[in-house]
Amino acid sequence: MESITTTFSRSEVRRVGARFAPALIDALETLTRLAAFTLITLGTAWTRFGQNSRVIRPRIVDEIHRSGVRLLPIVGFLGAALGVVFVGQTIDLMKQVGASGFTGTLIVTVFIRELAPLTAGLVVLARVGTATVIELGTARALGEVEALEALGIDPIHYLVLPRVVGFTISVICLTVYLMLLTLGCGYLFAFARGLKATPGEFFGEVAGALSWLDFPLLAMKTGGFGAIIGLVICYHGLARPLTLEEVGEATTRTVAQCVVACLLLDAAFILLYLIA
Amino acid sequence: MSDLPSIEMQDVRVVHPRNPGVTLIEEVGWVVEPGEFWVVAGLQGSGKTVLLETAAGLTPQGGGSVRLFGEEVQGGQRDVEEVSEVRRRLGLVFDGNGRLFPSLNVFENIALPWCYHRNASLADAAEALGPLLEYLQLDRLLDQRPGRLGRAWARRVALGRALATGPELLLLDNPLSGLDMAHIRWWRTFLSDASRGHAALGGRPLTLVAASEELRPLLLPGRRFALAHNGRWRLLGSTEDVLSARGDEGVRELLGDND
Repeated sequence: MESITTTFSRSEVRRVGARFAPALIDALETLTRLAAFTLITLGTAWTRFGQNSRVIRPRIVDEIHRSGVRLLPIVGFLGAALGVVFVGQTIDLMKQVGASGFTGTLIVTVFIRELAPLTAGLVVLARVGTATVIELGTARALGEVEALEALGIDPIHYLVLPRVVGFTISVICLTVYLMLLTLGCGYLFAFARGLKATPGEFFGEVAGALSWLDFPLLAMKTGGFGAIIGLVICYHGLARPLTLEEVGEATTRTVAQCVVACLLLDAAFILLYLIA
Repeated sequence: MSDLPSIEMQDVRVVHPRNPGVTLIEEVGWVVEPGEFWVVAGLQGSGKTVLLETAAGLTPQGGGSVRLFGEEVQGGQRDVEEVSEVRRRLGLVFDGNGRLFPSLNVFENIALPWCYHRNASLADAAEALGPLLEYLQLDRLLDQRPGRLGRAWARRVALGRALATGPELLLLDNPLSGLDMAHIRWWRTFLSDASRGHAALGGRPLTLVAASEELRPLLLPGRRFALAHNGRWRLLGSTEDVLSARGDEGVRELLGDND
């Protein structure tokens, strides 16, 4: 009986191993290439950031406009909705259970540290990131990247760097914008439902729940989300030769990998908070 | 202009860019001296485009060595800056619509390399590139997006982009294919001007390499010819040599004598 069980287990293990091993190898290969691409981009940023500024700076500004300024309305709408759904109801609920003193802590822990950066990052990914992968993938498939190289223009410098910098700045700014709008709308909703606190008292309570460590960590986290999104998008759009048929698949792969990478970074920051 | 060969290929195996295991042309031995005008002839799919991309250092060769102006552009520990420096001395006009950048208008496409390498503004480029734009007859199209241009004009924009940095060597992939007679006439005049030297093109003679599926439109004295046929590379020589090799199957096909 024992030997049958052992045989069964081994064959099961082999079957599962055979199924998941290629996927695991693929994932490791992607991770290695992505790391190499990140290092090349960092190297280019380090050595050439100020160079060709009259061409590169307007491109960074364009990217900030595309992935930041143009998303203000949708992020504003999300901020208003989150304000009512999360902040307003949290204030209400905490008052009902007699735990109003913990409202600020709850809002900081759940919304400011977690929800706001993730929401801003995911909005940028959904609204601009997917379009960017298609744009870059199509450019790669149609040979426009080789055309840049033929002109002596480094594609990492011209195509990748402005996007990574633009996305990073945009996610940081959109997160701050989302936080302010959400808190403002949440307060208004709670005030309409009978909250007695003045805006100064409410915002003071939230600010009191923040520690000095929140500011650098939130800047790093939101900037990290933007940089990760920019790098993964550019990697899938540019790093490998694509045909037009492969662009759609590259786009879905990019979205999945961006979400996973952002969540992993988020988990790393939770650990950092716990340690700190 | 230096005395070193503009292009030097020794025992080069031209391979498919996506599948390096597939050889397109074997044993390419080719030296392009400054000021020469070469026509690389071959049927569709013979590997001419990849040959030009390999010569420009854009596609790695399967074997052998490729030198541009005496410098290796593939392999080794070449710095991005060094490679960029070498590439600025050549212009490459791609086949079809010239692989223009769709997010930029005609003027921005042409001015991009000029502005990038000089760290200059578009206003500076407008002034500096004025004579070139006039020569290319693109003045009235400068605000158009590439997607709105026909093939002939798109290719002329691609030519302008390649010429903007003042290259010494110009590689043209099928410059005459799919054009009407008026545009073919313009291109033939341009090729003669570029070969002799023209004020709007920098004044000095350019080294030219044109890949073509037809020999007749480019069969003029003073040019040198090479043939990519059935995966093999052959240097045909001068115009007279081509005409005397009419019995050869590859030459006959490219001259259209089979009909």
